[in-house]
Amino acid sequence: MFRVSKSFFPLPSARMGTAALLLAPVAIALLAACTPDNAQSTFGTAGPIAEDQANLFKFIFWIAAVVFVLVEGAVIYAAIRYRRRSDSDKLPYQTHGNTKLEITWTIVPAIILIGVAIPTLAQIWGQQSGVPDDLGEVLNVEAIGHQWWFEFRYPDHEVITANELHIPVGRPISFKIVSQDVVHSFWVPKIAGKVDMVPLNDNFMWMIGSEVGTFYGQCAEFCGIAHAHMRFRVIVQTEEDFQAWLDGMHTAPDAPAPGSPEAAGQQLFAANCSTCHTNNSTSPGSYAQEINTQQARWNGWISDTENSLIVSAPNLTNFGDHITLGAGLKDLNQDSLVAWITDPSSIKIGTRMQKHAAIYRTPDGELRPDGKPGLSESEISDIATYLLSLKPGSGSGDDTADSPDSGSVDGAAVFATNCTGCHSTGDDTKIGPGLAGVGERAASRVQGLSADEYIEQSIREPGASIVPGFNNLMPPWGHLGDDKIDALVTYLKTLK
Amino acid sequence: MTTKALTFPRLFPRPKAEWGIWSWIGTVDHKRIGTLYGITAFIWFLIAGIEALLMRIQLSSAENTFVGPETYNQLFTMHGTTMVFLVIMPLSAAFFNWLIPLQIGARDVAFPRLNALSFWIFLIGSLLINAGWVTGDAPNGGWFGYAPNSGIDYNPGLGMTYWAIGLNLLGVASIAAGLNFIVTILNMRAPGMSMFKLPVFTWMTLITSILIVLAMPILAVAGIQLQTDRLYGTNFFNPLGGGDPVMWQHIFWLFGHPEVYILILPAMGIVSEVLPTFSRKPLFGYPFVVFAGIVIAFMGWFVWSHHMFTVGLGPAANSAFTISTMLIGVPTGIKIFNWIATMWRGNIRLNTAMLFSISFIAMFTIGGLSGIMHAAPTADAQQQDTYFIVAHFHYVLVGGSLLGIFSGIYYWWPKFTGWYLNEKLGIANWALMFIGFNIQFAPLHWVGLDGMPRRIYTYAENMGWEGTNLLASIGGFILGLGVLIFMINLVVSRIQKRVAPADPWDGRTLEWSTSSPPPPHDFDEIPQVEYRDDFWFKKYPETIAEYYGHGEHDQTVPSGAQVDDDTDEESMPVVSGGAYGHDAGEHGHDKIHLPDMSYYPIILAIGLGIFGIGFLTHWGVIIAGAPVFIWGLFGWSMEPVNDPETKTS
Repeated sequence: MFRVSKSFFPLPSARMGTAALLLAPVAIALLAACTPDNAQSTFGTAGPIAEDQANLFKFIFWIAAVVFVLVEGAVIYAAIRYRRRSDSDKLPYQTHGNTKLEITWTIVPAIILIGVAIPTLAQIWGQQSGVPDDLGEVLNVEAIGHQWWFEFRYPDHEVITANELHIPVGRPISFKIVSQDVVHSFWVPKIAGKVDMVPLNDNFMWMIGSEVGTFYGQCAEFCGIAHAHMRFRVIVQTEEDFQAWLDGMHTAPDAPAPGSPEAAGQQLFAANCSTCHTNNSTSPGSYAQEINTQQARWNGWISDTENSLIVSAPNLTNFGDHITLGAGLKDLNQDSLVAWITDPSSIKIGTRMQKHAAIYRTPDGELRPDGKPGLSESEISDIATYLLSLKPGSGSGDDTADSPDSGSVDGAAVFATNCTGCHSTGDDTKIGPGLAGVGERAASRVQGLSADEYIEQSIREPGASIVPGFNNLMPPWGHLGDDKIDALVTYLKTLK
Repeated sequence: MTTKALTFPRLFPRPKAEWGIWSWIGTVDHKRIGTLYGITAFIWFLIAGIEALLMRIQLSSAENTFVGPETYNQLFTMHGTTMVFLVIMPLSAAFFNWLIPLQIGARDVAFPRLNALSFWIFLIGSLLINAGWVTGDAPNGGWFGYAPNSGIDYNPGLGMTYWAIGLNLLGVASIAAGLNFIVTILNMRAPGMSMFKLPVFTWMTLITSILIVLAMPILAVAGIQLQTDRLYGTNFFNPLGGGDPVMWQHIFWLFGHPEVYILILPAMGIVSEVLPTFSRKPLFGYPFVVFAGIVIAFMGWFVWSHHMFTVGLGPAANSAFTISTMLIGVPTGIKIFNWIATMWRGNIRLNTAMLFSISFIAMFTIGGLSGIMHAAPTADAQQQDTYFIVAHFHYVLVGGSLLGIFSGIYYWWPKFTGWYLNEKLGIANWALMFIGFNIQFAPLHWVGLDGMPRRIYTYAENMGWEGTNLLASIGGFILGLGVLIFMINLVVSRIQKRVAPADPWDGRTLEWSTSSPPPPHDFDEIPQVEYRDDFWFKKYPETIAEYYGHGEHDQTVPSGAQVDDDTDEESMPVVSGGAYGHDAGEHGHDKIHLPDMSYYPIILAIGLGIFGIGFLTHWGVIIAGAPVFIWGLFGWSMEPVNDPETKTS
């Protein structure tokens, strides 16, 4: 009989090579346990949930390693021991099988798998059926996935923030896991495994951070073009620091000094950024308002995903206390923030900010050809300076209103700096209604309100009366102060 | 037979070409169709491999800008979709087509024209699903197409529409092929070949075909629903309209997990042929291997939610799917142990085919063991959607399916072509693929446990993933080099053309009893089967007693055989529709019935393809395609299997 292969296969070296290769996966898995310091390593855990998960993995791993060595050893042994030594066509005994062996290698793996299944099932029920009662006071958090950032709400404390989750060390955190748009996955490898954020299917998970520190999280379910850049941080704090942070989230920043870059940045932010980014959710009632506004922004985007001028965006309250920007992408500082505002896509390709925000468009609503915002470098710098200054202030009462700096305020100027991002003085709609002829319409809009009263209410409490066909998007603008609002009302009534 | 009551006007004569392009376009020969599947699938294999290498280049360093996120998303979507639907499934189909009639002693499949239709629909579907590369709208929602990210709101453009329509066409092709092979295997076995005398590859083909017929309609439903969500504003999976994205996941994985076994069972069948041949021993524990396959296929329907352990189905569902998933490890283990026992005390010839098969056992075992690790939902909560999963299923699908398929290529190549592949280049091919594969995918276990998610087009420098990814990328290119050596081998071997005899490996099954390559009618005489590995035991009758035990093997008319002794052999349906039979006089054998060639399969397939294009463009195109479709349908129905006037064979 014709034979093809004779001794092409150099056995001794191949034997060692094969053995080494077969052992490589084991070696590599073992090595993985040697890099527990990597930021998202599932070893070197900092919370009991992740620790238990790692221990279950190690338990199964070592059982698998034994099976692996036995099976691969048998394969290699058989291939070498029973290889054809010469060109002999010797016929081995033509056995059909062995029923006892078959029963053995059916039952033994079954028993091993039962051994694996028992601790597994115990852990499933331990981790997935609610927070155990004896772990102390539970902190409730809602984690909400957006394309492509994370929103965190503390309903018991009426605090809302984004991309940086603050939790107290040692306390159980109960999460409501929610998605606004597509499927995301909430994952902090060092503290707990992941749970998917699925629209219309709210999920539950809980975790405890057992070490103070900053930990990495990342979206783990493919969610579109910027999936790779959808990251976040978990900041585990002592109970005191956490309470201080909560208090700070209810404390408005001090008002910028008049004439400072911060003051200029505040004006620019209000006029250009505040449609999508709320940055003042510190006062009572602002939590509920922000939830409604965020929903309205999203409704606005989903109703016109190509040309919408609004889109869901992170809440920037006390943004100066953040450590990262762009959903955990860069360390936050003046340079990185200027770079972000100038060209967000250079840091996070696919971000909706550059596609939808009005500052990246011409007055006609077209995207600017250079992709950069229609602001000067100094204006961008002022916005960055202002945002970095947003930290809990001295807490001395109502300091948001500008101090009256002169007797006469130019309403047209107030409009230009604050309102033109969303409102035109003609008939056309930018984000909000065009305001030509608003003085005439205002008088008849709401029964019992004069034109002046209606316009003033629409500035101070925009949600009180929404023009049909528009979403409740506009933030309250009462921080302008009485003088400017009066001037603005006067100016608006002149628009024909 | 002279009945000619119904005729359909013919626009062209029936194809008769024996050479050239028209002989392929009109063919209904299972061997030629197998070749068409093989060549097409191999081309897609090269394309999907290039897609993989582009991704590996992108990931080889942190914050790389070789490709952008949109391109990257298209690459991983099309790499997965192509490898699953356009490579492993049709490469398996190539083996089914080539081997099933040969292994069961038949002259063709049960429905030869349906067989041709399957291929042409597959070809058109595969072109359509890839057409997005040309139009700039390549699918980008992942091979798993999770809603609502695959929906029109979040994924405008035509990409995922190409995907859904392409998959629907491929599903039609697969279902038709699956039905064909079920009927073929059940009805067309040679006399005496009872079910438990079937070669194991044929068994695995039968099981795979049943899975295909049951699983692909589920994907078809999902695809149609996604398509109408995208095109007509239905709300099956669209949460904005109250649809449920979790339903997509259930439907997809209810298809998707049986699909995993559709991908691996044929390779298991291949190694179950190669290992015995080159160990010169029968397959150890034949009934156990067969039943393990049946059990895997059955239990494969009860494990789908282990793809969804992090979706929040709750502890009860997660526990149930943990248990079912771990249980399915038992029959898988049975197969592995029986393969090792087959080698045990054998006389093992370590040639290329055998090395690929042995590597299959070794690598598939690794994939199985890592599978147990994420069968534990809480451990999986860390592993899900990381590179650990990527490593796992590549050990199953590359280390398993693909190495098995390469083993089959080297094993059956002499039968397919009549000449051998070069063995030195074969060893180099094996070594590079094996080494490259392990260098590529073993480190990905590590980087997955290190927290690297799947489907990210880049990663930050400070994550500690860079070295591992670079290593994996190098491995990918070594694996690619192995494939290149294989292609060189095809050319070199063709030039050298070392002619192979009918039975080059001292084989065990019926395909080795006919010439290499087989004649168009496969067998001059339909074999009479008495034993499992009938060909072997007729060559070595002295070993019958070793296998069957003394006095127990005398069951020449086994129960379950298709043909009773008293059945007139003339009426045996050797190929379908033998009513218009003709004599293959030139071969000197009577009653060899081969179906005539036909253009209608490709016409019907083109009609279906135009429908698909219509869904993508304008409903007017659908109207335009209808005449083609109906023409194909009617022409087919009215065309006799054999023209009475045709006298050639």
